Amino acid sequence: MDFSSNYEISRTAKFIRSRNFTRVALQFPDELLKDSTKVVSALRDELRSLSESDAEGNRDYRDVGLFVMADTTYGNCCVDEVGASHVDAECVVHYGHTCLSPTSTLPALFVFGNASINSNDCAKSLSNCLLTNEKPIVVLFGLEYAHAIHHIKEIMEVESSRLCGSKENKALCYAEVICSIMDPEERFKTPGRQLGSFDSYTANGDCANSGQMNSTGCGNKYTLGGLTWKLPEGHKMDDYMIFWIGSDNPTFVNALLMYNNCHIVRYDAMEQKLVNDLSRQKSIRNRRLNYYVEKAKDANIVGILVGTLGVAGYIYIIQQMKELIAAAGKKAYTFVMGRPNPAKLANFLECNVFINVACPQTTLLDSKEYHAPIITPFEALLAFNRGSHWTGAYVMEFGDLVASSSLEVGNKEEEARFSFFQGGYVEDFELQGKGTVEEERSFALAEAAEKGLQVYDKYPYSLGKGTAKSGAEFFASRSYHGLEIEKDDSSPRSVVIGRSGKASGYKDEKSKKENT
Amino acid sequence: MVKFTVEGLRRIMDLKHNIRNMSVIAHVDHGKSTLTDSLVAAAGIIAQEVAGDVRMTDTRQDEAERGITIKSTGISLYYEMTDESLKNYKGERQGNEYLINLIDSPGHVDFSSEVTAALRITDGALVVVDCVEGVCVQTETVLRQALGERIRPVLTVNKMDRCFLELQVDGEEAYQTFQRVIENANVIMATYEDPLLGDVQVYPEKGTVAFSAGLHGWAFTLTNFAKMYASKFGVDEAKMMERLWGENFFDPATKKWTSKNTGSPTCKRGFVQFCYEPIKQIINTCMNDQKDKLWPMLQKLGVTMKAEEKDLIGKALMKRVMQTWLPASSALLEMMIFHLPSPAKAQKYRVENLYEGPLDDIYATAIRNCDPEGPLMLYVSKMIPASDKGRFFAFGRVFSGRVSTGLKVRIMGPNYVPGQKKDLYVKSVQRTVIWMGKKQESVEDVPCGNTVAMVGLDQFITKNATLTNEKEVDAHPIRAMKFSVSPVVRVAVQCKVASDLPKLVEGLKRLAKSDPMVVCTIEESGEHIIAGAGELHLEICLKDLQEDFMGGAEIIQSDPVVSFRETVHEKSCRTVMSKSPNKHNRLYMEARPMEEGLAEAIDDGRIGPRDDPKVRGKILSEEFGWDKDIAKKIWCFGPETIGPNMVVDMCKGVQYLNEIKDSVVAGFQWASKEGALAEENMRGICFEVCDVVLHADAIHRGGGQIIPTARRVFYASQLTAKPRLLEPVYLVEIQAPEQALGGIYGVLNQKRGHVFEEMQRPGTPLYNIKAYLPVIESFGFSGTLRAATSGQAFPQCVFDHWDMMSSDPLEPGTQAAQLVADIRKRKGLKEQMTPLSEYEDKL
Repeated sequence: MDFSSNYEISRTAKFIRSRNFTRVALQFPDELLKDSTKVVSALRDELRSLSESDAEGNRDYRDVGLFVMADTTYGNCCVDEVGASHVDAECVVHYGHTCLSPTSTLPALFVFGNASINSNDCAKSLSNCLLTNEKPIVVLFGLEYAHAIHHIKEIMEVESSRLCGSKENKALCYAEVICSIMDPEERFKTPGRQLGSFDSYTANGDCANSGQMNSTGCGNKYTLGGLTWKLPEGHKMDDYMIFWIGSDNPTFVNALLMYNNCHIVRYDAMEQKLVNDLSRQKSIRNRRLNYYVEKAKDANIVGILVGTLGVAGYIYIIQQMKELIAAAGKKAYTFVMGRPNPAKLANFLECNVFINVACPQTTLLDSKEYHAPIITPFEALLAFNRGSHWTGAYVMEFGDLVASSSLEVGNKEEEARFSFFQGGYVEDFELQGKGTVEEERSFALAEAAEKGLQVYDKYPYSLGKGTAKSGAEFFASRSYHGLEIEKDDSSPRSVVIGRSGKASGYKDEKSKKENT
Repeated sequence: MVKFTVEGLRRIMDLKHNIRNMSVIAHVDHGKSTLTDSLVAAAGIIAQEVAGDVRMTDTRQDEAERGITIKSTGISLYYEMTDESLKNYKGERQGNEYLINLIDSPGHVDFSSEVTAALRITDGALVVVDCVEGVCVQTETVLRQALGERIRPVLTVNKMDRCFLELQVDGEEAYQTFQRVIENANVIMATYEDPLLGDVQVYPEKGTVAFSAGLHGWAFTLTNFAKMYASKFGVDEAKMMERLWGENFFDPATKKWTSKNTGSPTCKRGFVQFCYEPIKQIINTCMNDQKDKLWPMLQKLGVTMKAEEKDLIGKALMKRVMQTWLPASSALLEMMIFHLPSPAKAQKYRVENLYEGPLDDIYATAIRNCDPEGPLMLYVSKMIPASDKGRFFAFGRVFSGRVSTGLKVRIMGPNYVPGQKKDLYVKSVQRTVIWMGKKQESVEDVPCGNTVAMVGLDQFITKNATLTNEKEVDAHPIRAMKFSVSPVVRVAVQCKVASDLPKLVEGLKRLAKSDPMVVCTIEESGEHIIAGAGELHLEICLKDLQEDFMGGAEIIQSDPVVSFRETVHEKSCRTVMSKSPNKHNRLYMEARPMEEGLAEAIDDGRIGPRDDPKVRGKILSEEFGWDKDIAKKIWCFGPETIGPNMVVDMCKGVQYLNEIKDSVVAGFQWASKEGALAEENMRGICFEVCDVVLHADAIHRGGGQIIPTARRVFYASQLTAKPRLLEPVYLVEIQAPEQALGGIYGVLNQKRGHVFEEMQRPGTPLYNIKAYLPVIESFGFSGTLRAATSGQAFPQCVFDHWDMMSSDPLEPGTQAAQLVADIRKRKGLKEQMTPLSEYEDKL
């Protein structure tokens, strides 16, 4: 594939030029980083040639500062606005796979890249699907295949007219890319107005039952992972079959979850074959919505992982999550730690569940390796809103979540909460004495100190698994509290020779190994 | 049936010395429910307005269809004693009216949790034993449970009619059979020596053994006959009773009592002479329709028949005659009233078993004295589905104080810890209800010593709870019940229509409440699991779930599955090491199997995390040959901090070791819950921490570095120590005639079972077979067995132990490897096990 067309050098240059940006940040994911220098030099050449041809009218041309950003703190898919603001960039050019989450301060240009695909083969699979399936089909694709969609569409049109004139094109519906240039939206710019603006947002989307549908006159509009498509009036996603072109990436998993009642097939462009795996869809849904949500209900301490600093509305969501958790009688701690990994989270053993507030593409983490499940804000909403039931819809994006949360009114029953893990009713700690919550807070330290004086078991009853109600209490229950002075033995210890050598294998260890 | 008003019933409830709370317990099919029926027919209390159209014990349709009891059913009986019969009663009493709260419990082993719940709220037990089959496995189990709860038993030898009609044994042989049955029961009871409860063995000559024929509705104790003969022989009743049992022989020719059979043909044992033979004679006369002989005999016995009954013939006549002569209700009820304790008496010694708190506080005292004016102490033993869907009655027993409509109560759940807020609610009782047969009647209040059902608490009580007054913050809860069976058989359920999920969740919640032992949970794969004691138990649970608790919404159930355990066979072949993610910390570890019996000792709670280390060290060194010093270095048990696996610190002179202990323990809890093979719980593995290398800087040896590393090294050491699967095994007891044995052996062989005991029941053609049978093979076992023995064999399965599967799960193609692959697939894991190299690091 041609380098400059792959990286859309000329389009990028025009974008920069047309808006007169002088400082531009180029954001590369790790796998494309190797091309970054080439891209920069190509861009620079292009910009220069553009300015020369244009030099007549624009005397005050300054050289455009291009900055390569690598190793993003969070997911590769989001625009790293914080990183860009370090170099005072005026805009970000984002390369590679993206989630197209709205940005909050900087305009962004997205370069998806053009992955190779055999359009004919793909179209053949698609028409096969069409023939064997009763339902109409929605075609969704990974953004890297956006370039080929037009071609596939054309082939399909020819094909369908040739095959059966009666079966009109209505049965096929193609998604479109929302945009490849993004301007920060007004409503997110001023934090003070956020709440109000979200309210208006909710009001606009009130016709949608789950927040993901926005009725716009002629039909229902859907969006997912940077794609948007419309269905005719009166049609629901459940009536459609989804044909996904692309690899098995997080966007695809999102699709599996969001449209969990649809039949989804995936066309793998690399291997040129159709993958049809229903059981996976079901297992993901079951695991997340039954098991993790149920686990979260049992949690006493909840960690909120800030997984993004760019996606618009994240602050509001965090705030909302905190309120939700407090209302559910649980304790919340907020963590900002970049991309989470098991070792990082294992430092916070007291948390029974983590909520990952991140863009839709990075928010789903496989919790297998982590000591506690990691759930999405939507799942948290399900878990901590007493009486809310999963209705079949799944919400990924913040905006939709805000919209839906106001609609779901948890019918607060008087019944205690039933825990499937403890096999009985459990009442959440602080809920009972609601009036005393404030008081407890102010005496938290004193209380912790008091607990510190209590006699604890030599063998702590349960480590981090649901007994401690706050971080302080958890630490008090640990067997190691820091340096202890042994009172019975006041005589100084004799000096011993410490370890020497490198951490990868100390000298004494090496010798031991040789011996054996 | 006794017609009664609520007020009348409520009046007797205040007479704490005149109440008897008792349960009927027995092996399946020994005739509990039939016997209960005959009692109810005579003395059951029914509300006046519904008199005449009730049948008491068949509350569920499936119970009637299957002919077995599934849920325990409570029934109140009213009995008025005559002054004459009470003259020998030594205990306290208030008038002649007695209220007997009787609970009929299921005999099938799958439902023995119902028995446990029934025993908790009763003080006495009527043990029913089939005179032919004798004491069976379930008789023994429930009897032990009853005695463990300090419940005084009385015995009835049931199905006497079989002796007379079916087997036609002669008197001496029958006596020997009865004697053996009673002896067998006494052997079990004798092991429960309890100074407070006194001698719990039963003796016919003391009137604590009855002989009954539930089907025909007659029964007697030796008291009946003693009364009859006492005047004739001119001795007092007690003396006469002694003569009617044991080595006392009477020769009508010489009219002399001897203690040995004199050998004269007319010399017969007292029991045979005076009890067995007359009954036999009456029965035979009836059966042969020799009415001309019958009437004079009856007249002599003082039995008068109604005119229309005289026209009956054969069996019907015999039944009627026997019922009139020796009515089951009076014999059994009098036995209960005489020999079973009243709540006032029983709570004096049961308080120790019941109350968790100090035995000298006001709550213990109130229970001990059965004090209606004391603080309320009430134990809810089970939840009974109410007629309006989804709601439950909380059913239990008031041990002290009184519970009344509108009373605010403190609900202490099973996880309540005194002084904390956990599992504690304060709610009002909306209504207090007493059971009058099928109908419930509201009453103002219920005093101590009685059973009660309450409305309005079901949303805060799952299965059981202790209730006390709102202000009694110092009260400790009443001890939780211990079940003799464990839920080893599981099915996954899901709804056919995805949108029914809320219904399923709600249904499971209700199911969990309605049964004392069923466990409803969610697996990591997101499947909803129902676990029960056996196939039958699950079947009933699923039926209830679908029909009653989900309003008929359809569910799909998986095949039954059993949970396995992971263990190791040998000590790790080498010390394994894992490095932390930052490569700066290293943990060295070995795994080894625990000594035999140690895992069981941990299960039983003899060894546990809360022991005094000294005591634990002593047990470990004396019974299991541990080094005393090492016994002190146990870091933890797991999973769930109490499981049968442990971590022992074997390192010497390691710096900062105490700092990482918590992290290693956390890693261990995690790893022991999800073993390396198939993420099943581990069992019987002892992990030894051999050496630890830590980074000198505290920040680099935090939990984040150590916990994942510890988990990996636990897995690595498990995999290097010849890992094996453990499968649950049932103890099966089968009773069958000789000709069915071949079929039984065939089925057992086919199902990987093996027989370890085969015994002929003395005096019967029946054989008693005990065998071990893997639980996984038990699905459909009773069906197959019935088919192979033309319905003559009926098995009772109860979980017994974990058995190691000999094949190596790491070797492809073996049975264990196949099992592991299946489990992993079911759980949605990668089908291939994670290889050792992922867990172990090289220096």
